[in-house]
Parts: sequence; C-alpha cells; structure tokens
Amino acid sequence: MSELTETTATDAPAPAPFAMIAGDASAMVCEGDVCYIPAPSVE
Amino acid sequence: MGLGIPEPMHPFALIVSEPIKIDIWSDIACPWCYIGKRHLEEGITSLGDDAPDVEITYHSFELAPDTPIDFEGSEVDFLAKHKGLPAERVHEMLDHVTGVAANAGLDYHFDTLQHTKTLKAHELLHFAKQLGRQLELSERLFRAYFTEGRHVGRVDELVELATEVGLDADEAREALESSRFAGAVQADIAQAQAYGINGVPFFVIDGKYGVSGAQPSEVFAQAITQVAGEKAA
Repeated sequence: MSELTETTATDAPAPAPFAMIAGDASAMVCEGDVCYIPAPSVE
Repeated sequence: MGLGIPEPMHPFALIVSEPIKIDIWSDIACPWCYIGKRHLEEGITSLGDDAPDVEITYHSFELAPDTPIDFEGSEVDFLAKHKGLPAERVHEMLDHVTGVAANAGLDYHFDTLQHTKTLKAHELLHFAKQLGRQLELSERLFRAYFTEGRHVGRVDELVELATEVGLDADEAREALESSRFAGAVQADIAQAQAYGINGVPFFVIDGKYGVSGAQPSEVFAQAITQVAGEKAA
C-alpha cells in the first residue's frame, strides 16, 4: 500500500527535500474549500 | 561504572536516541486533517513497544484565507454558495466525511459547525508551541470546531479554549490581539509553497519522506518504522 516513490522534477511542482510515499491513492486532501482524492475528482 | 568515571559515549548514541520528527501542515477547518491526525496516532500506537519516540510539530496552512470570521449560515450554505454545488451533493459529501470520521473515532457535527477564518487559531497554535502545549491545543481546536460547534475564529472563544489546555488567558489574549505570531503563520505557509504542498493534511517524516492526505494508519506505521530503521542503521 505504501510504495515509496522518488519525487522528481517531472512530478513535483517545486523541489522538496524529501521523497514522497505514495501510500493509499484514495487518501483525501483538502485544498481551498473542497476536499478530494488527488485524482482529481471533487469530493 | 561504579568508579565514578563516566563511560565513553558511543559516537552515534545521541543520533540514534533522537526522536523522529513529524512535521504536519494542516488547518483546523480541514476535516481530513483531524482524521489524518487520528490515523497517524493509531499508526504510532500500533507499533506498541517498538514505537520510536516521535516529535510532532503542527504547521499552519490556511485553506481559505478569504473566509469571513463570521458567516451566517450552515456549512452546507457555505459550500453551496462558494462552490455552486447543489445542496443535495454537499449533504452527500458531508455525510461521507462524517462516516469516515466516525470510523476513526471522531464525532463530526456539520449541522452545528461554525465556518470561520482560521488565521487566529493558527496564531494560537504557534503561541502554544512556544510553551510546549501545541499538541494539546491542536486536539482541542479540532474537537471544538468539528464536534462541539465552537467558534474558533473569535479571540474570546480561542482564549477560553487555550485555558482548557493549561495556557494563561491573559498571555493567550495578548498573543492573539497583538498578532505577534502572524509572521510565524505566514512563514509556515511559505514553507509549504516552497515544498509544493497544495493540499492538507501533509506530513513530512524526519525531513525525509512526505505523506499526503489522510492516509490509513498502516501507511504511517510503515513509514515511521522505515525511518527508525534508517536512523538506527
């Protein structure tokens, strides 16, 4: 479930000093007034 | 030992014994941030005796800076008005979140929730951090907002909540009215932007791994275990 993937210049909008853990792709995040699965389908 | 002579310390002893730092960007008004908080806690607890020491720090992320402090209407009204979503659809969304929250042991009441600007709540979290009470205050603010329908945008209400976690009322009020932690809030937001963080919750584990969203507890447990192993290696 929690596959590790290296963050690269092609899949990250800004450089970050860490690698992203993919985890569960359906985990919800909130941005602005809405929360969604970063697929992105509005929840 | 026994001769009064300190044993030489292993050169890596201090490094190995350092707690794992977990930096969390979140907003009090973010339903998935409270759920993610619980999942993280469950993940740590699931490690039992093997759980390494962790040091959790909350960072500010203001989801909707244009939100008014006082909004007349329900959460459904707010989302329907701002997003143009049908009320029926908003109800479905909120029912879904409420169900997931219940599975995490949280009791959400969107019908009594008071939508508000969270800037002052973030300032208070920085004030509490300075005094070592940030984790307690974070939990208190989330519960006040999602479960109790408290107004976490008003100074008077925030001061009352601050005292409930052992903070001094006068000092908390001064911190809020002077806005002296506003710069710290903006610094957190700027750091999030620099990292490319667009949504919350967002977790950075020991500065090495990023975890986005309200991930299941197993993901947090696995990430923490991995970091602990790497630190001990």
